[in-house]
Amino acid sequence: MGAGIAWKRRSGRASKPVTVMYCMGSGLGFVLGSVSAAQADNKALGQFLASECTTCHQLSGESTGGIPPITGWPKSQFIAVLRSYRAKERDNEVMQTIAGRLSDDEIAALAAFFEDLGKK
Amino acid sequence: MGRLTRRTFLQSSAAVAGAAAFSAVPAIGQAKPRVVVIGGGAGGTTAAKYIARDSKGAIDVTLVEPLKRYQTCFHSNLYLGGYRSYDSITHGYEKLTSAYGVKMNHQWASAIDRDKKQVVLADGSRLSYDRLVVSPGIALKYDSVPGWGKEHEVAMPHAWLPGEQTQILKKRLDAVPDGGVIVMIAPPNPFRCPPGPYERVSMMAHALKAAGKSKSKIIVIDPKENFSKQGLFQEGWEKYYKGMVEWLGPKVHDGLKSVDPKTNTVVTGFETYKAALVNVIPAQTAGTIAIDAKLTNAGGFCPIDAASMKSTVDPNIYVLGDASIAGDMPKSGFSANSQAKVAALMIRGELIKAETFPARYANTCWSLIETDDAVKVGGRYEAKDGKIAATETFVSKTGESADLRKATQAENMGWYAGISADMFG
Ligand SMILES: Cc1cc2nc3c(=O)[nH]c(=O)nc-3n(C[C@H](O)[C@H](O)[C@H](O)COP(=O)(O)OP(=O)(O)OC[C@H]3O[C@@H](n4cnc5c(N)ncnc54)[C@H](O)[C@@H]3O)c2cc1C
Ligand code: HEC
Repeated sequence: MGAGIAWKRRSGRASKPVTVMYCMGSGLGFVLGSVSAAQADNKALGQFLASECTTCHQLSGESTGGIPPITGWPKSQFIAVLRSYRAKERDNEVMQTIAGRLSDDEIAALAAFFEDLGKK
Repeated sequence: MGRLTRRTFLQSSAAVAGAAAFSAVPAIGQAKPRVVVIGGGAGGTTAAKYIARDSKGAIDVTLVEPLKRYQTCFHSNLYLGGYRSYDSITHGYEKLTSAYGVKMNHQWASAIDRDKKQVVLADGSRLSYDRLVVSPGIALKYDSVPGWGKEHEVAMPHAWLPGEQTQILKKRLDAVPDGGVIVMIAPPNPFRCPPGPYERVSMMAHALKAAGKSKSKIIVIDPKENFSKQGLFQEGWEKYYKGMVEWLGPKVHDGLKSVDPKTNTVVTGFETYKAALVNVIPAQTAGTIAIDAKLTNAGGFCPIDAASMKSTVDPNIYVLGDASIAGDMPKSGFSANSQAKVAALMIRGELIKAETFPARYANTCWSLIETDDAVKVGGRYEAKDGKIAATETFVSKTGESADLRKATQAENMGWYAGISADMFG
């Protein structure tokens, strides 16, 4: 699934990598299940929530300076990364603050929105 | 007011899917609902683009902005410091029309006829609206600095509005001789971009130092007891520009008495300065059109409903950005952009029954102090007890590592590209 590549390239930074393989294990079955259910219905939500991200991240998938591209990621990986910002396990106060108010459903809606975008 | 904005969220999945299917149906009359946006800056451009893009042609959007080219105030300090070209902070509106169907009207809006729901343009023509977005930025209070006025803005530039003023200030800065004195008159609260004056001091000091003019001095006459990211800026000034920056609070300078644009003199209760350059950043209010339309309160800014950015004075009008009273949010390009997305959603909700969600806002302001050394302050915000309140905030710390500061500057550059694409791309 190409997991890990997009975020591992940032390894020079203070970020703590998320173990996607771990998340893919037992704990995530339930989460992924609810993701696919929510995802079909939450397009409008995903679109509105994503508008908060695009002050920094570019919808086109282009990336400049210290703002990484976030389109086209597999949902599970996207979800794991946002949760680790939310839990303040991954450094970066900007992302911690943004992710801090996202519920699991909202993260799922965002993951679906940005994954879709990468397919266009 | 909550009547219109608080409905429709947290519906069941099925209802959500249903609403989405009907999202292109106009709610008012048969004709396409019309939105007029006044001001093609950070707030207005974002609102126009998002309303047009997300309504997929179901709403007619006109953006009224006299300028064909918009120079961002954000990163104009980096232009002063020599880190950016003027071109790189200049943007055009072409894509708003070609990609999203926004109608550009490059004129000054001279009045808002709230009873008729029309905007009166400079040429006397009128634009009717179902909803109006007002994002005119700030107006300068030219009478707030004794001895200074609009006729002196070339002799003593402010460079606090987008465009030519920034170039004038840059030319004057580059002409300051080694040993010359620059005086900055800092503004009282509330004003556009709280860290802006102090980032500007840093960038002016950098430009002087880079040109080998380290005997020059920047004196800041500030009416405030303290300022945004003060500890961080002062740490940076001490580290990089030792002896070049002197910040004076009101207790020290004992009040600004007058300036004389003919002789470049500044008189405070404490001392008289003969300067090579005086940068006057005066007190501010909401843009004139908002005042004329009586959308402002006694303080000169526009009260809004925190849950939607709708004016509390007129239910057909939304006010964004610097002109609005946005509670804990600072007056920044980031804030204006964030508020615009909430307003765009609520307007689509009102006009074409698009599904709406509770407002959420965010801001981050980066400031460059010296090459590869930037700091940031930010937070997220929500409507709470009738105002926009911060729910979590962060700020850089003194003594951070060089690596972190460099990464912070990389974010700053990435953010600029991001918000530019978000507004104009
Ligand atoms: C030196 C400096 C540095 C800054 N740095 C940052 C930064 O790093 N980050 C950040 O987020 N913010 C920064 N800002 C703040 C930022 O520029 C403003 O907060 C932001 O531009 C506000 O957006 P706005 O839409 O309210 O107004 P503006 O962006 O000023 O847009 C207003 C527009 O309305 C138009 N207009 C006004 N009246 C009328 C009328 N009657 N009819 C038609 N059009 C009209 C004007 O021509 C203008 O284009 C900085 C500001 C300054 C001065
Ligand atoms: C204020 C600017 C800003 C906003 C707004 C923002 N981000 Fe970020 N984002 C960043 C920065 C900076 C990083 C890199 C952080 C790091 O080094 O870990 C990042 C990293 C990420 C990453 C990890 C990328 C990688 O390659 O490791 C994801 C995923 C992400 N953001 C998603 C989002 C989503 C979703 C939103 C909106 C809900 C959002 N971001 C809003 C600045 C922002």
